[in-house]
Amino acid sequence: MVKMKISLLFLFLSVIFVSAQSYAQDNIQTIPPEGMVYVPAGVFIMGSEIGDHDEKPQHLTSTSAFFIHKYEISIKEYLEFDPSFKYSKGQLGNAVIVNWEQANNYCKSNGARLPTEKEWEKAARGTDGRLFPWGNTFNESFVAWDYNESRGGSIAKPASPYGCYDMAGSVWEWTADWYKPYPGNIKLIEEYGEKYKVMRGGSNFNNWSFYTTSHRYYLDPKEISRYPVGFRCVKDL
Amino acid sequence: MRFITILIKITLLWNCLFHELSAQSVNEFPKKTDKLFEKVALYEKLMLGNHWNEGAIMQHVIFPPAGLNRPIVGSQADCLDPTSEMLVALSFKYSITKDPQVKLLADKIFEAIEKLEKVTGVSGLFARSFNQTDKALWHEKTLWYHEWHASTSMPGYRWLGDISVDKYTSILYGVSTYWELCADQEKRNRAEALIDRFITKVMDDNFKLTDLDGKMTLWGNLCPDLPHQPLNSLLMLSGLKVAFHMTGKDKYNLAYKMLIEKYHYDDHQLASKVLFPEEWRNVGDDYHAARAFYMIMRLEKDHSLLNKYRMNLNRHWFDWKSMDMSWESSPWFPMVYHVLTGEDVSTNERKMVWKNMWGFERTKKAFEIPNEDGSFKIVESEEEGTAAALIRNYWFGRYYGLIHPSW
Repeated sequence: MVKMKISLLFLFLSVIFVSAQSYAQDNIQTIPPEGMVYVPAGVFIMGSEIGDHDEKPQHLTSTSAFFIHKYEISIKEYLEFDPSFKYSKGQLGNAVIVNWEQANNYCKSNGARLPTEKEWEKAARGTDGRLFPWGNTFNESFVAWDYNESRGGSIAKPASPYGCYDMAGSVWEWTADWYKPYPGNIKLIEEYGEKYKVMRGGSNFNNWSFYTTSHRYYLDPKEISRYPVGFRCVKDL
Repeated sequence: MRFITILIKITLLWNCLFHELSAQSVNEFPKKTDKLFEKVALYEKLMLGNHWNEGAIMQHVIFPPAGLNRPIVGSQADCLDPTSEMLVALSFKYSITKDPQVKLLADKIFEAIEKLEKVTGVSGLFARSFNQTDKALWHEKTLWYHEWHASTSMPGYRWLGDISVDKYTSILYGVSTYWELCADQEKRNRAEALIDRFITKVMDDNFKLTDLDGKMTLWGNLCPDLPHQPLNSLLMLSGLKVAFHMTGKDKYNLAYKMLIEKYHYDDHQLASKVLFPEEWRNVGDDYHAARAFYMIMRLEKDHSLLNKYRMNLNRHWFDWKSMDMSWESSPWFPMVYHVLTGEDVSTNERKMVWKNMWGFERTKKAFEIPNEDGSFKIVESEEEGTAAALIRNYWFGRYYGLIHPSW
């Protein structure tokens, strides 16, 4: 009888130990690095049937779990990587505007990478296919109209389902991907291929529909012209 | 005086119609102490001489050595605005003076707007601007977005794409005024066909301005299925009203009704004017709204709808009645309000503003010109802005009796 009690106690302690270990391991994996948020693995709704032709068809796709920056990289953060970066006085807190190579190199130097289009869109809209990071109803006051507005701005902006800010407005954001059609898209245009990279999220100066989570725009990765385009990075688990 | 005016007109016509002008061909500027009509006459000469690009009017020209001997270097994104303003100005001027030389110039400007469509090679798709050149010019890379294309329909030309809702308004406002006041029957038919192709394309693209790649342009969203600025609802309704008025085609009237009854554009447009916070007030948007009001309120007969447009106009007037009048089109806002409401707002203070309207000075600036190897050289040149709005303000005011010929 005593032997049996000892065995049961041992079994009970073992279960608690294994559970605690597993819980701790899960938490270690999903606790994001500073300045980042966690996006779990799984399926989400990508694309749109009401946007531009390149957003079609709306489809289900999936990503692995990843961490992504909560905010766009600021000039102040970028200067730590490239102290020679030229900027205007008083704009240290603004989102940095750079070409694709500069963005990619920054992420690499921090053990990270640029998000794929899938990762960016999932971080912005979650799994329910919403039009905007905050939901389906457009609200002007939720858009980041200035490049530094959500960091200390007077009007609070809601975050995306996973806690990212400024994914509608502020600066466009580089993704890692070349501009290519989605599977099943039948309208081919000459811009598709490995000439342009995709940027997302719209900028504060363009029309409202560019703030939709599914909107895609393409840009020469080397010459950004007057497009205000910045970035945020992701890290794998 | 009369002899000088005739001489100026003959010289201008000769230059515009038969010669490619050198960029700095006109160098006489008015003085601030000149009478208003003298200032306008000299600015007309400057605009038609130095800014004339095959009938299109350049908003900004850069002279040699940074520019060329033709006025095709400068910011060209907004060329449709002064082109439209000059077309409107000359149309009002023609309706007052009946001067055939004025009509001839207006015809040339209208043909340039036709060319803005032809150069894209796509029916109903308009360029922001065009240049006759085989190779890319330096300012294409630095003064605007990368939206220049080599024309396939007009070899030897390049055109600037990504048309926006304000240029859409410029086309409608310029062409419809010309159609109403100046064009002969043959040109009226062409103007109707041009607006028909333009608005048909917008409708076929689900009320979006789309570019060569089929994507919506950066500022081309008039779409009922996508969130868009309330001002764009007003612009879309005014465009459909004008298209129906000019062509008589019922599809435009049906689309107008659909946007109102199903998508409530008439209610959405009420919030076009952002009044508060005050720093969000935008005089540029006011300009597009003012042109849309001028087009739609003179054509709408439904009292309920007219009331809604009046409500929107009143929200604008709240700001306009006391706004700073230094921007080129702001002296025009009280004139529009006066004409549309019948309310006499020509106070002595506003009359003084109208009398003192001014254009631009020629200035000097250092330009950063890209070399082929990616480096830059600094070149100092003279440049000119536009006075087309001033000229339009003047002839509009003259037409409606708000500006006296002796001023």
